[in-house]
Amino acid sequence: MSASTSPLQASPGLPQGRLERLRALGHDFLEGRREGAYLWDMQGHRYLDAVSGAGTHNLGRRPEAPVAALRNALRDTDQGNFPMVSIEKARLAETLAGFVPGPLECAVFSVMRGEAMDCACKVARGRTGRAELVTVDGGWYGQTGFALTLSERADKTCFGPLIPEVRIVPFDDISAAEQAVTARTAAFILEPLQAENNCRAAMPEYAGAVAQLCRDRGALLVVDETQTNFGRTGHRFAFEALGMSPDILVLGEALGAGVFPIAATLLTQDVNRFLNAHPLIHLSTFGGSDIGCRVALSAVETYARLEPWRNASMVGARLLADLRETAERPGSPIRGVAGAGLLLSLDCGTEEAAAALCRRAADQGLLVLPGAVARHTVVLRPSLLITEDEADAIVTAVRACL
Amino acid sequence: MHTTETTNNAPRMTRAEKAAVVARFSRYINRGQVKYLRSGHLDVIETERGGVGFRDPASGRRMYDCFSSAGSFNVSRRNPLIMQALEAALDDLDMGTFHFASPAKAALAAKLAALAPGDLDGVLFAAGGGDAVDCALKLARGATGRSEIIATVKAYHGHTGFALSANGKAHYRRFFEPLMPDFSFVPFNDIEAMRARISEKTAAVILEPVQGEAGIFPADAAYLEGLRALCDERGALLIFDEIQTGFGRTGRLFAADHYGVVPDIMTLAKSLGGGLYPIAAVLYRPTPAVTGFLDRHPVFHETHGGGADLGCRVGLRVLEYIEETRLWENAAARGARLKEALETLQHENPRIIRAVRGLGLMVGIEYVHEFVGPMMSDALARHGVFAAYSGNAPQVMRFMVPLTVNAEEIEGIIVAIRLAVRDMKTLLPAALLAARVPGVLRLLNNERVQTAAFGFLRKIEELLPARRKNA
Repeated sequence: MSASTSPLQASPGLPQGRLERLRALGHDFLEGRREGAYLWDMQGHRYLDAVSGAGTHNLGRRPEAPVAALRNALRDTDQGNFPMVSIEKARLAETLAGFVPGPLECAVFSVMRGEAMDCACKVARGRTGRAELVTVDGGWYGQTGFALTLSERADKTCFGPLIPEVRIVPFDDISAAEQAVTARTAAFILEPLQAENNCRAAMPEYAGAVAQLCRDRGALLVVDETQTNFGRTGHRFAFEALGMSPDILVLGEALGAGVFPIAATLLTQDVNRFLNAHPLIHLSTFGGSDIGCRVALSAVETYARLEPWRNASMVGARLLADLRETAERPGSPIRGVAGAGLLLSLDCGTEEAAAALCRRAADQGLLVLPGAVARHTVVLRPSLLITEDEADAIVTAVRACL
Repeated sequence: MHTTETTNNAPRMTRAEKAAVVARFSRYINRGQVKYLRSGHLDVIETERGGVGFRDPASGRRMYDCFSSAGSFNVSRRNPLIMQALEAALDDLDMGTFHFASPAKAALAAKLAALAPGDLDGVLFAAGGGDAVDCALKLARGATGRSEIIATVKAYHGHTGFALSANGKAHYRRFFEPLMPDFSFVPFNDIEAMRARISEKTAAVILEPVQGEAGIFPADAAYLEGLRALCDERGALLIFDEIQTGFGRTGRLFAADHYGVVPDIMTLAKSLGGGLYPIAAVLYRPTPAVTGFLDRHPVFHETHGGGADLGCRVGLRVLEYIEETRLWENAAARGARLKEALETLQHENPRIIRAVRGLGLMVGIEYVHEFVGPMMSDALARHGVFAAYSGNAPQVMRFMVPLTVNAEEIEGIIVAIRLAVRDMKTLLPAALLAARVPGVLRLLNNERVQTAAFGFLRKIEELLPARRKNA
């Protein structure tokens, strides 16, 4: 399959730079029909979608129940007035409290992941009365102010001085964390697995040490699961496998199953004391839309019913093994394969090689993106419901690229 | 698809049913919010949403929605044409992928570029208002290579990191500092203050052409013209936040159209989503500095929930609808009538209402005392008007009804406001007497004291069945 003739031209919503980036990755087509593990361009070429909106389409494209929930919600509700009490918001929050392990009982809804992370940072500062935010290198948390400040990215200096009192310490380095977390620390923030950074995973010892440090020094533990939540790594949530108990958990757009933009910041009752004392101090017009809550409720029920982490674990293990075997073949440009479940990363050595792999993969009918932090890597994030045959097709496509 | 409107005003929800929802919300979302809303009679559950309002199922009362989620329902609540567009889009679309181009994104971008003031021909998508403002400020810093951002006192731009840093009221910032360095605030509508602050280090000046949460302050024409000239002189970008003022709210499609001043960047959200689906946008003039930055950093603000295909289809239909119905004209006409009636009310009640301000259907009344805000919310709710006082100015109440409001409905709202003011007159003498005691006025104007005091009154009321009858 090949998007041979590029139908794209620069236009009001597509600046030249973006167009060139799409061309460089072999993605200069218009996203058309989409269903399950696949999307089609407007010429009818079918691609296996292993971008999945960076962990948004966990249930595949246009999953039946959440789409139906949106249709039904349209029959009797709308976005609602954002400060108001609503049946939908209350029901989704209660359902999440039951679905997510541990004492994370309270929800603040956002429209997308960066906003949910900014909320987490603000609540951590507000609850502790401390300013300092500590995170690890290699993180990628989103585009908004706090999330950007915490992230590792080459263009960060373009945006001037960012949020002060943010410290970035080496990942997986317990003694660096011990030095950084003090009585001035509001929160320690990390992703259990850095999707954009060659799927670098926190080790249980490190996670445990960080959690203990936070407890000892009165800092809050913030876990960003925007890329790993709802089964992506083969666990319902990645923090469960690490034996952590976050004080604040950031959930991404997988909450809306790719049908409706909604994200959430989950808090313990103790952390929520701050927002109870200062209600409506952090607002979001689109966050907690009643329609969005209906879609998300259906998505969470679907996650609970299908337990897609089981499939992600099983199919992911097979995919990882096959890709590792591929990487070890003589002459293979892939230097290594990392990740867990259906969040995998191919180390291509250079940024150019990673872009070339994306381009060749598109020719083979497979859509993948380079890591945003480790740009020499290519991230594989298909639907969590892919079959073994579809996983084999991914391997075949990758092999054909080499 | 529309819920059948009935004139039956009997309660639809028992006290026990409502209490169950409120208890769940309190436990799993925020009990402080419930207390706060209760104290102002705003703890209402919205059912049978449609047209210019909704029904409070507990009282059975039909409510005019004069808050409109801070300006999100310009095309009305559950507009059937917009719902049809979303239903149709659901046949083959979903959010789509932030990274890919799509027909839905291209169509909305083209439409926005065509309708936007002047040469605002470039479009970036965002997920919500805060996201759009963060995108705009990053673009400004990136394109100019400068870091200073000048915002206005009492400005409201949102709650994400950059937007919050530009929020001109300490109330929203104080627990979360330190925020972004190099942000400063100058008084709104004061060109000399801006002249004194702006320099060659200024990346951007950001403001709302009509300050919303601050209490409805329209910019003077000379002020915006002066800002345009100052920004050009100093090489700074001018950003209009039209998240509340856009899409006909002020009587023109965009507030900027009143002034003939074209900003370099404009942020849009709220009503673009038709009250149904989140979508926001950042429009920019494709100057060499801006396009140069975008070409070097094409994914500087690639937001995962932003520019969703379903949202783009909704946004396109919203724009078509506003154009087809020339909705801004209705906003201008109904807004003029509302403002006129409120001015009459002000002249009749100078001890309660200090000022009436507005542009189109973005109208606010300022009370003489801050503590009147929650009391008025309460009195209005009893007469079937849902209205909230401004976040950055509790002494101001905004009336931002959907722009589809007809002449009869506007008269209904005016009658309700008159009745609410009449009720206030019976309560106010006691409060004003108390306010003469030193310190009590400050206490009354304190939000927490209000929440506790009015919450207490609500409890007493609910124990007295005689007062629970419909007003």
